[in-house]
Amino acid sequence: MGEENKSSLIQPDLEAYVEHLTSESCKPVIEDSPGPILRMELSDRILKLCQANSLWPMTFGIACCAIEMMGTGMARFDISRYGSEVFRPSPRQSDLMIVAGTVNKKLAPVLLTLFEQMPSPKWVIALGNCAISGGPFKVKENYNVIEGVDKLIPVDVYVPGCPPRPEGLLEGILKLQEKIAGVRHPLPQNRHPGSPLRKVKGLKLK
Amino acid sequence: MAQETKIFKEDILFHEFNTTETDYNQRGYHLEVALEVNQVRKFAQKAYDAGFYLVFVTGFHVLSEETEEGTTSGLNGVYTFARYDRLYRIKGHVSVPEDMSLPSICDIYQGANWHERETRDLYGINFEGHPNLKPLLLSDEDRDFHPLLKEEKNLKSLETVSWPPEALESVDADAGAKAPSADSIDS
Amino acid sequence: MLESDFQEKNRFFLNMGPQHPSTHGVLLIVLEMSGEYVLDPQPVLGFVHRMHEKMAESRPCVGFMPNTARMDYVCALPYNHGYVSLIERKTGIEVPKRAEYIRVITSELNRVASHLLWLGAYLLDLGAFTPILYGFDDREHILDILEDITGSRLTYCYYRFGGVSRDIDDKFVASTRAFIKRLRERFVIYEKLVTKNIIFIKRTENIGIVSPDMALRYGMTGPNLRGSGIAYDVRKNEPYSVYPEIDFEVPVGAQGDCLDRYMVRIREMEQSLRIIEQALDQLPEGPVRAKVPKNIKLSPGDCNFAVEAARGELSYYLVGDGTSTPYRLKVRVPSYSNLSCLPELGRGILLPDLVSILGSFDLVIPEMDR
Repeated sequence: MGEENKSSLIQPDLEAYVEHLTSESCKPVIEDSPGPILRMELSDRILKLCQANSLWPMTFGIACCAIEMMGTGMARFDISRYGSEVFRPSPRQSDLMIVAGTVNKKLAPVLLTLFEQMPSPKWVIALGNCAISGGPFKVKENYNVIEGVDKLIPVDVYVPGCPPRPEGLLEGILKLQEKIAGVRHPLPQNRHPGSPLRKVKGLKLK
Repeated sequence: MAQETKIFKEDILFHEFNTTETDYNQRGYHLEVALEVNQVRKFAQKAYDAGFYLVFVTGFHVLSEETEEGTTSGLNGVYTFARYDRLYRIKGHVSVPEDMSLPSICDIYQGANWHERETRDLYGINFEGHPNLKPLLLSDEDRDFHPLLKEEKNLKSLETVSWPPEALESVDADAGAKAPSADSIDS
Repeated sequence: MLESDFQEKNRFFLNMGPQHPSTHGVLLIVLEMSGEYVLDPQPVLGFVHRMHEKMAESRPCVGFMPNTARMDYVCALPYNHGYVSLIERKTGIEVPKRAEYIRVITSELNRVASHLLWLGAYLLDLGAFTPILYGFDDREHILDILEDITGSRLTYCYYRFGGVSRDIDDKFVASTRAFIKRLRERFVIYEKLVTKNIIFIKRTENIGIVSPDMALRYGMTGPNLRGSGIAYDVRKNEPYSVYPEIDFEVPVGAQGDCLDRYMVRIREMEQSLRIIEQALDQLPEGPVRAKVPKNIKLSPGDCNFAVEAARGELSYYLVGDGTSTPYRLKVRVPSYSNLSCLPELGRGILLPDLVSILGSFDLVIPEMDR
């Protein structure tokens, strides 16, 4: 970042910084990985249902959206109904990263380190406008805010709002479950009495 | 409220500096002090001895001008103090000279440690005597980038952003009429 | 205890953060440790620096309103209040009485919500999982009440120059009164669950004692200062809005440890309920918004306005240049000065005590980084 030494009025080059950070990250590894050699479709499908039914988020609340994420975990909106019973602080014990808040130039290497520490398979939800595209801070004089967390890591589900309602985050989790397993809320523990039993393709439940 | 502030001891305390009484309802502070660079530490020491707490230290950027002493850098530092037991706010401003350095008041007010680091981050003002002038808000690589400095086309002169002198005349007239008898009042 | 040879040889550095399970935000504290004792904690800020002050200089003063809410999102209405009152003081706009009362009622409701969230988060840091559920449940009731008139749950932009944007109705008044009655009964539960809990008392008594002189040197304000015995509250010291017409007390603590700061906040919640009740009783009829010119021009000169946010004294300092865009806007946030005493306060303490002290300071990191 040698440009700033010459004149303090030149904006730091954010695109070059993001390029520099992501060139060494594991992003190419994820996209080009060939997958397992032996595939058994039925066990794959069961595994995917289990993964979708118990996504454990990592607590990565940065700013305002973090409070809505906490509120989703609390008694009224209760995210543990949908499988996310525990919010794990350690990235090595979680499989879902909910990026809730604005990602900053100083925070970007931290985010990448945490993402690389998470074991595969892992998913990312970008919560709030700041994580999707920079939000209210995507302005002409921006020198610090990374405009969208998908410039750094691959994102699966985007939840818009500033901040989004807790119901929005729950919908995001359900959409992610649909993306993983093909069906929303695959194995509901407390099925509402009177509601029809969900039919999952290829799986016979009584 | 405005009448009571004139009989506090504070405006006598700061008489050696270039002070002006201001209208609180118009500006939000009671006393404005125009400081020289070498008076900053004395001002802070007097404020600490009188029991003021530091509200903030910051700066702002105007057009640099030619004066008798030389060219100013265009940067100004602002120091604000207030009290816990009474309502009295003081604002001191100082024009930063061309070498962009001001004395640090960290040993008097330890809270100024972070305020001065932030001002250096945002404006590039160097505080002499500060123990640890690392970047606070910006990352280490950006230590020479000062975001709040304005571009040439946006800079205005100091008169354009200051209160016009006729706004102060009405306050000064009141001050002359009610001469403060400060020795009868305790702090 | 620190002079033994074993401790001297076993020094190491530990990074606390920037991602750690307490919910204060993204704060990195580099701890130089010796065994379990912290020798020198150095906070590192800047992970949520979102250039609010730069944004204020490039848009008309009206366009800065959303930013005020996003600085401290837990207690956003006092931030709104400070900014609109600053512009009103600069330009001389008169605010109708009904609007002032509505501002006070909503600000105090927001203060109660912020303290309930602080209570839950502090106890979560200390290891108790139940009070946060109770606190968030009570807070959801406040959010429902405020959502009806402001439209948002968290980052409010409800105040406008010259008043508020929408009037309150009877449903708001009735639900607020019902909520006050409910919360007073819930305080008994908090008393039994938390305040009389021996584990909580042992974790917070005589820990992190802030002396009044230390508070003055660092410029601390808010409940952290009142826990040390100094009764400084901007609402009493430098009254703004309609606070002079409302009768309330300013609770203070005795020695300045974590337990005192906790008790000050609990009693502040009770005083806020008193303020809301009196404001609802005194609420006059009338318009809620004054006629304001479409393009507000800020006359040349500087102006200052201070309000009492949930965390301390919040000051806005504005330099105007004759146009409608501020030339310089400085926001002095309370948590910035409150945290800067950590290197002095945290020397030679145990690591769990450091967690307890941080929780009792009630920090919100995005407001520090602005």
